[in-house]
Amino acid sequence: MRSTFRSIVCFALLLCAQMVFAQTAVEPSPPENPQFSRHVIAVFSRLGCNAGSCHGAVQGRNGFRLSLFGARPELDYAQLVRDQAGRRINQLDPENSLILLKATERVGHGGGKVTSRTSAEYAVLRRWIEQGAALDDAERSRVAKLEITPREQVLKTGAVYRLRVTAQFVDGSQEDVTNLCAFQSLDNQTATVDRTGQVKAVGVGDVAILARFRDEPILAMALINRESTEPFPDTQPLNFVDEQILAKLRRLNIPPSNVTDDATFLRRVRLDVTGQLPTPDEIRLFLSDAAPDKRIRKIDQLLNEPGYSALWTLKFCDLLGASDFGVYADGLAEHFEAPRFQAWVRARLEENLPYDEFASRILLATSREGRSREDWAQEVTALQDGYKTPRTDLELYAKRKTLDIYWQRRDAIGVPGAMQVAHAFLGLRLQCAQCHRHPHDIWQQDDVLSFANFFIRVRRVGFEGDNEKKYPDDAKLFKQFEAEGKRLAEEAKKMKEGPVKQLGEKAKQATEERNRIKNEIAKVEQSGKTDGLDAKRTELAALEKTLSEHLAAQQQANDLERRGRLLGDEVAKRVLHSGIFHLTDEAAQKTLAVVESPLGSQSSRDFRLLGEREPVTLGPDEDPRERFVAWLRRPDNPYFAKAIVNRVWSHYFDRGLIDPPDDLSPLNPCSHPVLLEELTRQFVAHKYDLKWLHRTILQSRTYQQSSQTNTANATDRTNYSHFALRRLPAEVLLDAINQSTGSRDDFDMKYYHWPENLSTVEIPYTTRNDFVTFVLEQFGRSERNSSVQCDCQRQSEASMLQVLGLANHPRIWQKVNDPRGRIAQIIKQTSDPSQRIAELYLGAVGRLPDDAELQTCLGHIASAESPEKGLQTVLWCLLNTREFLLQH
Amino acid sequence: MLNSCSTFRQHTRRNFLRIGGASLCGIGLLDLLRSQCQAAGGSSKAKQMIVCWLAGGPPHTDMFDMKPDSPSDYKGEFQPIASNLDGLQVCELMPKLAKQADKYTIIRSVTTMNKPGDHSRAPMYWLTGNPRLPSGTEKYPMYGSVISKLKPGPAELPTFTVLGKIDHHINNSIAGSFLGPAFNPFIFDPLAAKDDIAKMLSPQMELPAFTKNAELLKSLDKRLRGQDAADPLIAGLDQYQQTAFDMLRSPKLRAALDLSKEKPETIARYKQNHLDKTRYPSGDPLHFLLSRRLIEAGVPIVHFSLGYWDWHGENFVAGRQQIPMFDSGLSALLEDLEERGLLETTIVLALGEMGRKPKCGTDKNAGRDHWDYAQFVLAAGGGFKRGCIVGATDKLGEQVTDNFYKIESFGRTLYHLLGIDADAAFPAQSGRPIRLIAEDAPLIKEALI
Repeated sequence: MRSTFRSIVCFALLLCAQMVFAQTAVEPSPPENPQFSRHVIAVFSRLGCNAGSCHGAVQGRNGFRLSLFGARPELDYAQLVRDQAGRRINQLDPENSLILLKATERVGHGGGKVTSRTSAEYAVLRRWIEQGAALDDAERSRVAKLEITPREQVLKTGAVYRLRVTAQFVDGSQEDVTNLCAFQSLDNQTATVDRTGQVKAVGVGDVAILARFRDEPILAMALINRESTEPFPDTQPLNFVDEQILAKLRRLNIPPSNVTDDATFLRRVRLDVTGQLPTPDEIRLFLSDAAPDKRIRKIDQLLNEPGYSALWTLKFCDLLGASDFGVYADGLAEHFEAPRFQAWVRARLEENLPYDEFASRILLATSREGRSREDWAQEVTALQDGYKTPRTDLELYAKRKTLDIYWQRRDAIGVPGAMQVAHAFLGLRLQCAQCHRHPHDIWQQDDVLSFANFFIRVRRVGFEGDNEKKYPDDAKLFKQFEAEGKRLAEEAKKMKEGPVKQLGEKAKQATEERNRIKNEIAKVEQSGKTDGLDAKRTELAALEKTLSEHLAAQQQANDLERRGRLLGDEVAKRVLHSGIFHLTDEAAQKTLAVVESPLGSQSSRDFRLLGEREPVTLGPDEDPRERFVAWLRRPDNPYFAKAIVNRVWSHYFDRGLIDPPDDLSPLNPCSHPVLLEELTRQFVAHKYDLKWLHRTILQSRTYQQSSQTNTANATDRTNYSHFALRRLPAEVLLDAINQSTGSRDDFDMKYYHWPENLSTVEIPYTTRNDFVTFVLEQFGRSERNSSVQCDCQRQSEASMLQVLGLANHPRIWQKVNDPRGRIAQIIKQTSDPSQRIAELYLGAVGRLPDDAELQTCLGHIASAESPEKGLQTVLWCLLNTREFLLQH
Repeated sequence: MLNSCSTFRQHTRRNFLRIGGASLCGIGLLDLLRSQCQAAGGSSKAKQMIVCWLAGGPPHTDMFDMKPDSPSDYKGEFQPIASNLDGLQVCELMPKLAKQADKYTIIRSVTTMNKPGDHSRAPMYWLTGNPRLPSGTEKYPMYGSVISKLKPGPAELPTFTVLGKIDHHINNSIAGSFLGPAFNPFIFDPLAAKDDIAKMLSPQMELPAFTKNAELLKSLDKRLRGQDAADPLIAGLDQYQQTAFDMLRSPKLRAALDLSKEKPETIARYKQNHLDKTRYPSGDPLHFLLSRRLIEAGVPIVHFSLGYWDWHGENFVAGRQQIPMFDSGLSALLEDLEERGLLETTIVLALGEMGRKPKCGTDKNAGRDHWDYAQFVLAAGGGFKRGCIVGATDKLGEQVTDNFYKIESFGRTLYHLLGIDADAAFPAQSGRPIRLIAEDAPLIKEALI
């Protein structure tokens, strides 16, 4: 749902919809001499005329096209004054200008009535027309600085204050533009703002108010504290995280919830860190442990379990789009690559490689890693050869230093590649800015294009027609492999037509004879005699030998054939079409990242890092990615460390300190800036140690708070006064169902050499099991491709199909009723009905039943057809409770 | 299209008032949007829609765009027959539909123009009205998902039902959209013995036992209740659980899917000309009958994929097998809907993602290859004209010569009839607001009453 909030905010920004006609405050009179680029455009922005959904759309609306948010005044002027034979402006009778008639809906207007004849906006437009409808020098009215006052205001619920916006223009003039701005509260439950800039506190918490003058946005903050006579509780922080969280709660006067009980903590931390439910034994042991540091020890233990690296492999593979393959003729495929990608990431997490190094080894990946192309080809051969059961290529690939598969994915380079890098490693969403100025961020199109140039000199995988010409050495190798492949295929063919065929005929005969002799032997044995039995057995052995010779020859031919295909097709194609390296040829030096949009084809000549003013100058052979990574690893990088800190935080709290966690925009205010700074600083000081980061968050009181709210904090969503409920991720949920029912799903992926015992969290791509696919799709699984770069890919909303699936899918009932499942085990384990129920509760919801629950269950079991049936229903119920479905 | 901007502002402004808390949960938002949509679209001609999807691309020049005067290496083996609509000749294998041509419109001028075309992409374009790609574009919703979100049907029935699968090539890969999983179609096949999802729509036990279980669940599911009101996720879960259990308890859906309630003659009428063995998968004509029953029960959108029409080889063998079956099934559906007075308010579509290449040679086993530049759409009911031809192709059936429309126009026309504002924008996952049909395009007015 949160993504929806955010998106609606985007709408808001896009539309600047301030449609309240009631005049609430006395407005200063509109400018006497309105200028087009300074005032008229601002009115368009304020009324939403130039928003993307109205005339600001690329193709305009109903023949009238404005630049988005008025970014290009001269074009807008031409549209307004010259287009359609100038009928939009009537200088002889300004009141009857089409533009005014439409805006006030005196003639039909698709957008309805957007202003009234008595409004200040109307006056601006009318006066401008009256005074000659001239185009002023837009450059003079460029905004040098936009200021909003008060920038931050502390107030009580019900209180009101007024915002003022002042623009300083490049020509040195200054103007109060409050009445030319659109205002927007980013959280209307906390404070509202009207079109005059008057803010009213309606709830408790802090809220950002956004003002926009033309296409320039600016934020002001309001902090509204709760009125209460009760003293703030004396809650003790456990670490510096809590100090910051509590400090803000104290300022808002929102008391935090208590620390949660041990059983809830254990379930929470085990699910969050390893993606698994705690076992009944583990729960009992933990509950009986009296040591005061048991939570700290548990956190350490869990961070060192394989579940931790499995869960974060899932998260990083989602983030990095780890199964997006299939460029023509590159020899790459999801079933080869996705598991390798995963294996590599997992190995790095298991060794807890510092995060900056992790990122660097992905971003600077090359296929050869400095080796000769022959050595690399050997690696490729071994990898392809390892695609069998069990897959030996995975371990081999995991040993590589760098992850070249990242760059072998579809759309990994140029503008789409840059956007993925920005999203995954910098927590920035740049999609909008590809084509136009980002409507609710600071990014301009030139920022994105200049940044994308860093990723344009990576070789693009796939058949390009001229690869053989462009890379003659690779082509030579390609031909060798192709020839070798052909030779092997020939050899296999010869074998099949020769010896295999001959042996096959013998074998056919031998099979018949073998059956006859087997029958004879059986008859003799039945009769109890032994006459001639040995001779027959010798004969049988000879026949068996013929058969096995045939099989061996067949196998040999098949092996040859497979190897032929492997070398001649898979390896050869990869060698020529899929190696990742830095391009140094002359053409590559001239290539620029390009974006094609309805606005045309655009590019930038500069290499400029995001947020930097000056472009960098590259040496002729320099890999621009190196510059990028060096910038990334600078301790003062504004995004890199912060992005991962914020993402890890949001994993545990379901919202980022900056939220959504992939939108580190200056216009998306952080709820706890000091905390985020401090966590980031210490994370960098701890050499980007991910486990340090996890541990620090997990050890905080804030993480260990109860989800049970008190009367004062129930409506708080952003200040961590209590633990926020959230649904288990799809994969974790399915594993939890399997764990509590003692069943598993056959993924039906033997054909692709998947190991037998994978958990759902560990699957690298879609399985052939319909139930698994159904659950993952309904509960939201990332598609791991470049179609959506957003942390919101895993949607957490509820749906009918989810509920129906969990309650009534035949597979769920099969699991509950599994004759070798959890219930069967419990029945064997104990005959006491209460204990049986206790075991079910521990296994499914991680706690013991309370008295009322126990009595209800006992009653149900007593009235059931059989104890087994009764227990099955109880288990079914538990799987369908919110307690099971939610992290709490 | 009218009032699009103001409607859009309304969405936004009213959403603002709710941002940040309880009322912006799935349900609240849904209600909100629904009410806005009604305000936006006003009354709609079509309340329901059936899409009979002819996956792979049926041969337009062998069905509804016959070219008897084209050269022998074009015209193929089938003869045209007159229909009861002046100026429309149809294939001799469709005598029943020929007699009902006064019920439907044939559109000959909407095509993808191969931008994008082909089996992997054209179905996505046709079924969402936007050039959606498997990867790299926004996940535009199918028409049914939009209806699920904006005009959901009765609570005890699914709103968007897919019988079998969406398409032969892309399977169900476009089921999900940026509207969110709550609006995905219910995909199941009541005719398949082993279809788990079909089973899922009925209680897995006798009703009393099911009710008893549901009661036990209610008495055990008492934790985490304190914060309900404030939490959209929980409120959504509760609401859906209630609705889901109501659906399971209600006999409505089960009754609609129960073909034993039909007379054998009716079943025979729908199944007439259905062969057990065919050159290409033929699909099941009983999906026509199930569609009718679901529409009667009140399900707003039903989609099914009727066999496979990608006849690269033996086009005419396949045609003799599949076209008569299609003729029986669709004509029976149109007759029944008409008889029940449902055709006025139910759009019935039959189309595939492309046409087939008019030039096919004269080989005995000639096939027709892909053709992304001309095809047919059969559209009946729900505000489509009765007895009408829109657009034309050249004398070979290769290129549209008259009244060309893009797929966007087709999508906008459907939304128009269904009372949905195609310019209403929704937040895509990237956060950008996207209109239901992103590009402006005119309605296919010639096809509308």
